[in-house]
Amino acid sequence: MLTRIRLTLKQHRFETIAISIVCLGLTAAALIEAYRLNSLNVPLSCLQSYQGGYIDPSQAPISPAQAHCNELAKSFFDTKGSLDMNLVQLLLLFAPLLAGIVFGAPLVAREIEQGTAPLSWALSGSRRRWLLGKVLTGVLLLAPLMLAVGLAANVLEGALNPGLNPNASFSNYLGRGVIDVFWVLAAFAGTFALGTILGRTMPAVVLALVVCFFVRAAWDAGMTHFVLRPFAVEQVQQDQQQQGYVVYGPGGGSADMYVYYKSFIDGKEVTDAQVNDWYQQNMVCVPMSTPTPTPSASTSPADSSSPGASATPDNSKMGDIGIACQGPAFDPSHMPQQVLYVIPGSWYWQTVALESGLLLLGSLFCGAIAFVWVDRRRPY
Amino acid sequence: MGADAGASTATAALVAHGLSKRFRKKVALDSVDLSVPAGSITALVGPNGAGKTTLIRVCMAFERPNAGRVEVDGVDPWRHRSEALRRVGYVPQTPAVYRGLSVEDHLAMARSLHSGFDADYARRRLDQLGIPLDQRADTLSGGQGAQLGLAIALGTRANVLLLDEPLANLDPLARREFIQVLLDAVRSEGSTALLSSHIVTDVEDACDRLVILGGGKIRLDCPLEQARRTHRLTDADSPPPGATAVGSFLGKGGQKVMTLWRLAAAAADGADGQSAAPETTSLEDVVLGYLAAGRGTAGLQLN
Repeated sequence: MLTRIRLTLKQHRFETIAISIVCLGLTAAALIEAYRLNSLNVPLSCLQSYQGGYIDPSQAPISPAQAHCNELAKSFFDTKGSLDMNLVQLLLLFAPLLAGIVFGAPLVAREIEQGTAPLSWALSGSRRRWLLGKVLTGVLLLAPLMLAVGLAANVLEGALNPGLNPNASFSNYLGRGVIDVFWVLAAFAGTFALGTILGRTMPAVVLALVVCFFVRAAWDAGMTHFVLRPFAVEQVQQDQQQQGYVVYGPGGGSADMYVYYKSFIDGKEVTDAQVNDWYQQNMVCVPMSTPTPTPSASTSPADSSSPGASATPDNSKMGDIGIACQGPAFDPSHMPQQVLYVIPGSWYWQTVALESGLLLLGSLFCGAIAFVWVDRRRPY
Repeated sequence: MGADAGASTATAALVAHGLSKRFRKKVALDSVDLSVPAGSITALVGPNGAGKTTLIRVCMAFERPNAGRVEVDGVDPWRHRSEALRRVGYVPQTPAVYRGLSVEDHLAMARSLHSGFDADYARRRLDQLGIPLDQRADTLSGGQGAQLGLAIALGTRANVLLLDEPLANLDPLARREFIQVLLDAVRSEGSTALLSSHIVTDVEDACDRLVILGGGKIRLDCPLEQARRTHRLTDADSPPPGATAVGSFLGKGGQKVMTLWRLAAAAADGADGQSAAPETTSLEDVVLGYLAAGRGTAGLQLN
């Protein structure tokens, strides 16, 4: 089997070398970027108090310590928003898919294209055993490389979000850690299955790109909609109010993963449309240039229903330019209430295990299709 | 136009019964009955599109027959593929070489895929031909590539060798070398070979049996010598006594339509008995006659 693995790697040496260089380079780049952020040694308090350079004129002049703190925070956010950092993050997100596609597409298709499949299949007798040897080679190459990339991405995520434990937070969790290994296996299995069916490398690459990126894009929504709902727990609203703003969902820097919400008026569950109707009927819009703070702290669901959306801390909602709409100063208990259902960050490993398991099932399903198909298809 | 019952299935290395294969509306094999005797080297001859490659591919379980069955060394390759393929050495039409892998890598690959592969035997054969083992296989000449394919097939030490037009892309010298290596190996090992080709002169000296395939049907299946002895080529107007016409085609030079006649068994034997050097017909003429029969003579008339 070692000979088979060696020769399969030699046969696919271009893909092997390219994937190895990209993965190891990306691992190094992620670690270097993480080191750059960590070496700034910015206290967490500086990051939390930093207002992006905005100075409130009503406040007293800032102290030299605060100025230094702001400088540190600014350099942190500048580094975080730099082009190379964004590029590394982008590559980390797509590396598992690309690696799986690049190695998976030619695995069977090239043998058919180059006319070596008849010889291999004639010698092997069992085409499934032949395919197993090739698949095993792919797994042995891709899994360790992608584990290295995933772990480096974890380190980078920790550096990007100081104070957030990457292993207890859903921030960017689909693009880092061990789940990367399962992404690469899924992309690999799907692509070599396509290559087996189509028998052509380039069409398999193109189709796999479309399918993989569609699956990746739909994964978040699919998981939160169909899979994770039963596991979501009610989130204590008070935390958000104390924080002053709400950041939902993966990628938003929150430890918890937003799954869904329910709205209530006077204790009765209502739809979004009913909540909007309620606000239409009860809100007063007046021409104003700036929002006016009100004591109430409740948040409109319309402002916060989408991941990443944020509401102003003062319960004001900016309408058209020059128009501000204020909610009525009702007793808060009579206003629409929103209950968020989230997967707590402490459930990170269970959730990752669940999603990894689903990806593994998908990989096995695609692999099974390829194993059935290879037994029936023509070698040309 | 049936095939001769030239071999008993009891000693046959390859048997086909009513084998049919269609590709949509095109009939590639049409109720083919074939029996290749063990230990023989059989030439499978026919024009392009005759069904030679399809027949071999069915034997290799690359194609599933629409009807009929085939047995290779007593095993149905479609039902018991692994077992059947262990008994077969296969040489594809174009040398199947892995780009970037050396000759030695190919032998190692074959060893890893086929448990019974004799890499030393294959290595010795390649050494004898002066093919460097460390050379990249995709840089070998056409003849060397074909020899590598043959060495791999022989290295399996299979009872049956199926060679799918391995000579098609080779120059005359490479063809002769290839056939010589094949003959040496088959004679020394006592294996059976089915050599497909559309170049009749190449197989004439190597094979002891002839199968002519045309339009998906077996046109002739008999020992090579019998094929020569039992056919005559004459003008269409002067048939040998008791002979039946097989087919007409343009003779050499393209000036005259010639007809191939099949002699009655007694006449063929009589010819043998009466003459110290029996009159025979060239194998090429026999093949052309049968192929013309498959096509009809309309296209062969002089303008």
